[in-house]
Amino acid sequence: MADATIQKRPSPRSRYPLRPQLWWLVVPAIVFFLIFFLIPVASLFAISFDKAASGVITFQGNFTLENFYRIFSRALYFEAIGRSVGIGALVTIICLVIGYPLAFIIARTLRPAAATLLTILVLSALQLDMVIRLYGMMVLMGDKGIINSVLLGLGVIHQPLPLMYNTFGVIVGLVQVTLPFMILSLIGAIKSINPSLEEAARSLGSTRWHVMRTVTWPLSLPGIYAGTLLVFALAISSYVVPALMGGWKVITLPIHIYQQIAEVGRWQFGAAIASILFVTAMIALSLYIMAMRRNAGGRV
Amino acid sequence: MHEVNPIPLTFRLVSAVALVILLVPVLVVVMAGLNSGDFLTFPPKGVSLRWLIAFFKSDIFLPAFGVSFGLALLTTLISTVLGTLTAIFLTRSKSRVKELLRGIIVLPVVLPGVVLGLALYIFYVWTGVGLARSYWGLLIGHVLVTMPFIVATITASLVDFDLSVEEAARSLGASPWQAFRKVTLPIIAPGVSAGTIFAFIISFGQFELTLFLSTPDLQTLPIAIYTSLRYAFEPTAAAAGIFAIALVITSTLVASRLVNIKNLLNRR
Repeated sequence: MADATIQKRPSPRSRYPLRPQLWWLVVPAIVFFLIFFLIPVASLFAISFDKAASGVITFQGNFTLENFYRIFSRALYFEAIGRSVGIGALVTIICLVIGYPLAFIIARTLRPAAATLLTILVLSALQLDMVIRLYGMMVLMGDKGIINSVLLGLGVIHQPLPLMYNTFGVIVGLVQVTLPFMILSLIGAIKSINPSLEEAARSLGSTRWHVMRTVTWPLSLPGIYAGTLLVFALAISSYVVPALMGGWKVITLPIHIYQQIAEVGRWQFGAAIASILFVTAMIALSLYIMAMRRNAGGRV
Repeated sequence: MHEVNPIPLTFRLVSAVALVILLVPVLVVVMAGLNSGDFLTFPPKGVSLRWLIAFFKSDIFLPAFGVSFGLALLTTLISTVLGTLTAIFLTRSKSRVKELLRGIIVLPVVLPGVVLGLALYIFYVWTGVGLARSYWGLLIGHVLVTMPFIVATITASLVDFDLSVEEAARSLGASPWQAFRKVTLPIIAPGVSAGTIFAFIISFGQFELTLFLSTPDLQTLPIAIYTSLRYAFEPTAAAAGIFAIALVITSTLVASRLVNIKNLLNRR
């Protein structure tokens, strides 16, 4: 320990005396993540390259690409990849369009109380158990749900609208679940834009929309990239939303994984689908982390 | 003088839509849990406490609530210890490895929960130490997905922490541990508490990861509600939901008093 040296000078940040021992602090977390995160994920990849054997979980060591070949050779499976990605993209766009204005208001309102209240509402919505929120969605959107019974009662429609147990229901459910992530990603980015830039554009005669399009939106792009990639990764990963809102009719990748494993016992094949989902989400997330870095770097 | 950048009317309208999408489902759950009919009609028939009482008598939802609560407590305890240590390292180390570490720690939250649950399950079966379909196996999964929240919240409060205060304690003869416990910890305590609250809620509401790890006799609340939703809209499940909603709103309010939420949003 370098105690003697500290006492002589007011130690600046860069020469902090605790530094040499810092590593010990992070050893428990590293060990934990190595054993219970990195190795399990590696096991998942390993089993997906193993020869398919129904009901067998243990590693047999028969290397094969058969599981992946099967996914891309059968319409049932590669269509699910397309469906997952398509739904994910649509959900992302909807979240951006309806999330941006709210994020803008939270970032720019002149009343701090309103900003805090809205932030707390968004945070609460984010944290509340997804299944409970989906309960609410299902009571609203079912054939005998609130929306349909009100519309039928008013005589606006004569047949219940098919709002749920289809792709539409899955998309609405996913928007509900992922919207807070979009809003929270955008708030920071919009806040970091110096308002005087917008003010300058306005004073030079630009209309409000023109300023929004040419100044605010481009400057918030790092937050937009981060939010869209995060929402996309979350949307393609969700099991519970397509399971409940799609009523097992909208078969996305996570649904296939669960069916292959829990219902048919095809561990190797299920793991192969899981690996593809993992890699897709991972690519989106790596881009997300890069966007976040630019976001943090660009702060004034 | 007009506002610098007045908020356009379109923005206000779309924001209202966003808030409706976020909040109406929650209101519906509260209404369903408090309505007096056998199922929720609109307009509701009347208010009653019968479903709340049914929840306390339920042999599915009440035990599930208990399992979730206990699991969340234990999860929070473990991930707070691991997460605080990690956050201190991340804010003070100059090592390049820390960026990689920060990236890895965030992953369990954002990666597909079903995939992570499956990976853990396969790993548990392979190692054969009895973690598969056990309480401890589930606990480990929950620690993985809650730790990032602890690390993020505590990092946010440590970034503003003035190291010279701790160094002053050290120069006056305090050991590193004493300096941490008597100087640093009290100052970052609000951040730590907020982090534990977030971790608790995340664990309490965790569904996707739990799917492959729970067993019929180890049902968490989200799993119990999910199972009942496959067959009917039981108002008892909504009543259980009301308690979960109250828990989340209270804790978010408490957390927002403890830390400046805005610090969390500006990630570093």
